[in-house]
Amino acid sequence: MSISRRKFLGWVGAAGLSTTIGKSAAAATNKQFAGYPKSFAILHDVTLCVGCRSCEAACNTVNELPQPEKPFTDLSVLETKRRTTTTAFTVVNKYENPKGDQRPVFYKKQCNHCLEPACASACFVRAFTKTLTGAVTYDSSVCVGCRYCMVACPFEIPTYEYDQALTPRIRKCTMCHPRVVEGLLPGCVKACPMEALSFGKREDMIKIARERFRKYPDRYVDHIYGEYEMGGTSWLYISGTPFKELEMREDLGITPAPQLTAGALSSVPIIVGLWPALLAGIYAVSKRKEKIAQSEKEQALASAKERPDESEIEEES
Amino acid sequence: MVKGKSLRIGAGIFVTIVILLIGLMSSFDVTALSKAPDDPQQIMFRPDIITFDNMEAFGKLEKTKAIFLHDQHTDALEKKDKDCMVCHKTENGRMSQKFMRLKDISREELTKIYCDNCTKCHNEMIAAGEKAGPVKCDECHMERPFIQSSRVPMGFDKSLHFRHYRAQENKCGRCHHEYDEKGKKLFYAEGKEGTCRYCHKEKPQSDDTAKVISMRFASHLACVDCHQQTLAKHMDAGPLRCAGCHDAQEQLKIEKVKDVPRLKRGQPDNVIIKTGDPKGRIARMDQVPFDHESHEEYNDTCRVCHLASLESCANCHPLAGSNKATKNGTGISLETAFHKHGHPSSCTGCHESKQEDKNCAGCHTFMDKNRQKESATCLRCHMVPLPERTGELSTSNAARIARLMPQLWKETFGPIYKVDVPKTVVISDLVDKYEAAEYPHGKVFDAMVTKLEGSKLAQYFHYEDTTLCLGCHHNTPAAGKPPRCANCHDKPFNENYLFRPGIMASFHQQCIGCHQKMGVEKYIGCTSCHKERKKDS
Repeated sequence: MSISRRKFLGWVGAAGLSTTIGKSAAAATNKQFAGYPKSFAILHDVTLCVGCRSCEAACNTVNELPQPEKPFTDLSVLETKRRTTTTAFTVVNKYENPKGDQRPVFYKKQCNHCLEPACASACFVRAFTKTLTGAVTYDSSVCVGCRYCMVACPFEIPTYEYDQALTPRIRKCTMCHPRVVEGLLPGCVKACPMEALSFGKREDMIKIARERFRKYPDRYVDHIYGEYEMGGTSWLYISGTPFKELEMREDLGITPAPQLTAGALSSVPIIVGLWPALLAGIYAVSKRKEKIAQSEKEQALASAKERPDESEIEEES
Repeated sequence: MVKGKSLRIGAGIFVTIVILLIGLMSSFDVTALSKAPDDPQQIMFRPDIITFDNMEAFGKLEKTKAIFLHDQHTDALEKKDKDCMVCHKTENGRMSQKFMRLKDISREELTKIYCDNCTKCHNEMIAAGEKAGPVKCDECHMERPFIQSSRVPMGFDKSLHFRHYRAQENKCGRCHHEYDEKGKKLFYAEGKEGTCRYCHKEKPQSDDTAKVISMRFASHLACVDCHQQTLAKHMDAGPLRCAGCHDAQEQLKIEKVKDVPRLKRGQPDNVIIKTGDPKGRIARMDQVPFDHESHEEYNDTCRVCHLASLESCANCHPLAGSNKATKNGTGISLETAFHKHGHPSSCTGCHESKQEDKNCAGCHTFMDKNRQKESATCLRCHMVPLPERTGELSTSNAARIARLMPQLWKETFGPIYKVDVPKTVVISDLVDKYEAAEYPHGKVFDAMVTKLEGSKLAQYFHYEDTTLCLGCHHNTPAAGKPPRCANCHDKPFNENYLFRPGIMASFHQQCIGCHQKMGVEKYIGCTSCHKERKKDS
């Protein structure tokens, strides 16, 4: 079978058009989500952190995790940069102070509990839930172990129990959801002797951050990390050191992760449903046209054989 | 169809050949492929970089600015026993700072002067078999120069000024001058000396001053010329090379005179700063006695405070803020000039910057930087009653009052920090993982008093015995027995008091914050303040 250039372009055009129909339908479902009202957040003031690792110890106890090799009182651990693991949902890292001040800077890392979590958006079994308290929780009973959440997370937080042959789980900070619903403080916040971690309603945490900027303008970088990053997170940071120096990503933009994919994904049903019918229809129409043209040609040929003079006359005119 | 088949066969052969070729190349030249790209050239820092900025006057540059290393050329010429005249022309006995010319005329001419003369000399040296500088365009006009400037600005401090004053046999007129508009020449006006920068700006500020040469030009003209002439007389003189003045390391080598005698220019020892303007209008604040002599000691130059001229502040700063620019280009009110936060020239700004000192930062780091001070604080400076209240007496005796003031302050306000404070305070509200902390309250207080007594400024503003207590016992009246910390600081994250830390954090923030700021490293770990609690107890 041969396809003419015109036909091919026509099909492509029709296919393209059908995708745009799908998009406009999806846009209506994507309104800006600014977090659940009165949900909680934690504000980490990097300038107050003294690197005592009390939060790490508390996290370990609260979540009943195995004891690490070196005790939490051993501060030599801070000499190497660490990331979260299946047995440490939060880690404190030490950074040189670029201000030339001798005192290093400590930054606590854990799940940021995005307002619109990328992990939840990537998970096709809905193992992740953004709860009303602000925490992003994980349900291992439905998890199939695809680890898409690990790929999706812009902060590289979820970890996977590769050493569990039969029941591997994704592990990450729960923002102490079970404790918070009972009216308790998250383990790390309660343990922090410096109140480098503050806990409360997200809007209050932003107020505290702004008040500190006002009160001590020389001490802070005038930016609340997490207020808008990736559409906003329930873990907020303020710092005197540029966030880049703390290896915090500044290239993330303010669009929540699900919004980046929702448009394209919403067009899938349209394409799957519409394209076969559309293309088959176009094919049938063009087939029919060919058939008619063929029969007309045959008819014409037959009639031409009967009356040869007529064709000559036509050619002359 | 035959054609299509042969095409496919052809493509197949081609792909095979390409794969084979790649295979062969990689097997022969593995090292070449795996070799890392050349390291980016190390960036060199030099203080003597000159870029020919005067080309910019003729519009957009065609090429990147050429980089010229002045000291390298000076050294090279010196080795050959040649002097500056190889590159610089002389006019009226003074060496022009421009290269091979006296004036900038046109773009074409300038380009020609630079390119021709540079390459001519370099070519000659190359011909003689010597190492020489670039002769190709992009070797001077580099896209990404690997040499960058480490030049630091130079200026006179009191010591250097004094050394010049001494060397010039106290003849100020050898450097300081005014300009006579009519006679079109420079003359020395005694008692009118000021900082060079008052007239010689970085760039012309207005049409009136367009003819005043820039600071950069003026300083090199005067300094380098004088150093050159003095050296010619085989006498000791300042540097000729760029690095001598503009290299950070070289600057440290400049000799410092320890006890610089006070500069004499007819300035007062004490003044009463009027809260009014020259037209006789007054702000309704009491006047401020000011110890001018002491403040001269604290600062290295006059222009720290006298930004634009050595006149009274009110001559430039209007009593009420104004949209109109005043004489020296500012509409900044007198009030702002004296009280602006963070500005090194304002009284408040400079005094506040002293709070960052290790001895002071412990308490002051916790204080709101932009807070409205109590009105009692105003009266610490505004203390000389206005003439309208005291009559003629104060105006006629202004100088005498000002002179008396330091003595008066000392006698009236000189604080004696003898507060009855507890020796130790046991902080037991939080006993849990750790035992109670025994806080050496008395020892800390004594240490603070010692530090305070070392600073005249600090003593002056901590004028009540109990002012000192406010560092920790904040938001309470300065009184002998303040409320306990836990009276206000209770459980953390109280929504009604969003900005108030909980009891545990308030102790840790206060103690650790202060220790960090004051460099008391000894007491930063947990167990240095409270012992770990045994589980069975």
